[in-house]
Amino acid sequence: MLIELSGVSKIYNQGKANEVKALADIDLEVEQGSMVCLKGPSGSGKSTLLAIIGCIFPPTSGRAAIAGRQLARLPDRFLTLHRRETIGFIFQRFNILPELTVLDNITLPLLPLGVPPRERRQRAEELMERFAISHRAQFPAGQISGGELQRVAIARALINSQPIILADEPTAHLDTVLSQEFMEIMQQLKTTGKTIVIASHDPLAFEHPAIDRIVIIKDGSIHVP
Amino acid sequence: MAQRNLEKQLNILDYALSSLWRRRLKSLSLLLVFAAVIFLLASFQMVTQALTDKARQVLVYTPEITLQKMSVGRQEAIPLAYREQLAGIFGIRRVVPRIWGYYFDEVRLANYTVMGMELGEMPEGARLDTTLSGGAMPGTDERGRVVIGQSIKKALALEGRTTFSLFRPDLSLTSFEVSGEFSPDTDIMTNDLIVMGLAEARDLFAIPAGLVTDLCVYVANPTEIETIAKKISATLPSVRVLTRPQIQKTYQVVFGWRSGFGSICLLTALAAFVILAWDKASGLSPEERREIAILKVLGWETSDILAVRFWESVLVSGLACLAGMTAAYIHVVYFAAALFRPVLMGWSVLRPELHLAPRIEVGNILLILAFTVLPYLAATVIPAWRSATVPADSALGG
Repeated sequence: MLIELSGVSKIYNQGKANEVKALADIDLEVEQGSMVCLKGPSGSGKSTLLAIIGCIFPPTSGRAAIAGRQLARLPDRFLTLHRRETIGFIFQRFNILPELTVLDNITLPLLPLGVPPRERRQRAEELMERFAISHRAQFPAGQISGGELQRVAIARALINSQPIILADEPTAHLDTVLSQEFMEIMQQLKTTGKTIVIASHDPLAFEHPAIDRIVIIKDGSIHVP
Repeated sequence: MAQRNLEKQLNILDYALSSLWRRRLKSLSLLLVFAAVIFLLASFQMVTQALTDKARQVLVYTPEITLQKMSVGRQEAIPLAYREQLAGIFGIRRVVPRIWGYYFDEVRLANYTVMGMELGEMPEGARLDTTLSGGAMPGTDERGRVVIGQSIKKALALEGRTTFSLFRPDLSLTSFEVSGEFSPDTDIMTNDLIVMGLAEARDLFAIPAGLVTDLCVYVANPTEIETIAKKISATLPSVRVLTRPQIQKTYQVVFGWRSGFGSICLLTALAAFVILAWDKASGLSPEERREIAILKVLGWETSDILAVRFWESVLVSGLACLAGMTAAYIHVVYFAAALFRPVLMGWSVLRPELHLAPRIEVGNILLILAFTVLPYLAATVIPAWRSATVPADSALGG
């Protein structure tokens, strides 16, 4: 299993007046090369679960192993290092820096890895070609269309050849055509062996035929219908 | 591994550069204000250094010991007869009487310094001939001839004429002929100076025969100045004895005090700037918070974000330092420190047009760096720590 969560819970501001229980007793296993959709309304805990899988923070309790590493034992710095190597993120609204060029946005994850400029450009060019955005390489990201922006975000998530792709509400602000296009790209990535976890409450996402499993999250717990 | 780390730092530096470029208006305004503060500080430092050097260079021509008679704490004319009492002190090479005073030109509203001496009596090496840019010092028997400084030449608007007149105390006129002019290199001392024979000065100020304003003592061995000064003090207790090193020190103290005063004022401006920089660095706009959160999710460590801030600050302060110091050098060399002349050289109505050559010393550069760049780095990088700890999950949705 590439992702293994067992009895995972997350409590924000534990022991304080503003304590919030975001996740409780989550058990989840995701095989390599599969595509899972975390479905649930806003505030249900999808993003928190995605953050734990994405090694942004460890769970408050329980066991979380991502790509063979136990998160609970990893200090913050190693969580970051593990995230760099393992996880590619696609954010809601894509979180592209609008003043940077498309090329610079795609290569952002490579800068702290010490990848030299030539290699960065080479890797980005391969991805831009794959997603048909090469002609936009030197455009500021703020000046390209929504569809192109989506492909820039996907290219950025793949730039370091990470095995796991996490997408947080990727179709929330896209029209139907772009949402379909996004899911088709995810399907292609799945065929290349990538493990994909999408958090979404958009039917276009969770009803897509490429989705292997839907995990329903409700009030911080996995809901079994 | 070392190669990877070097590449990483280069990448982060590259990102810092692009970050500065993206916020170019903000970065440029910050850089300009910082460069202006450094320019003012560096100008003060350079002009003080240059003035001190210039004074030291010119004071070579002052007598080794100057004697002035004091009465009730004030200077008064000194009798020429004192020379005889000095004759017995071993080591004195020559005693030259001098009339030194100020002449206020009511027509041109300018103050001139007048020095009357028997120039021929001055010993070799102490003569003022070497400081002339044209003409010659008046000979012993040449009456009514004078040598003037550059500002006097302008103030009198001679324009080809060689004669001018000054009023005696009884308002009768006395005429002078210009026989030479002092070199602009010695402006700091000679700019407002008129040098004439002792008899002409006595006539101009109506000083009675047998009296002068001071006696200039030249010694045989310059290392014996202090010893001879002590002997003179013992022989003539009512006389104030000024040695050349004391005068040099006075100049240094005067310039140092003025520079120090100016620097304190400027350091206040610097402190205000640093507080502003601190305030700027500790507060984050929503866009900056978002950017940091995105970078952290993408695998940037807190230390990487801090490194970006550090490089940004190094670039801004380095460029500001370079621009500020270059501007200060140009200001001092090509504009003769026009901004600070009234502060640093306020003793004369006729202010010298100095040609200053700042001496660049590593120590001075380090001092300016220590007072400007280091506080700026501290003010931007320390609060950036708080900014860099923006949680990565804030880039994710709810």
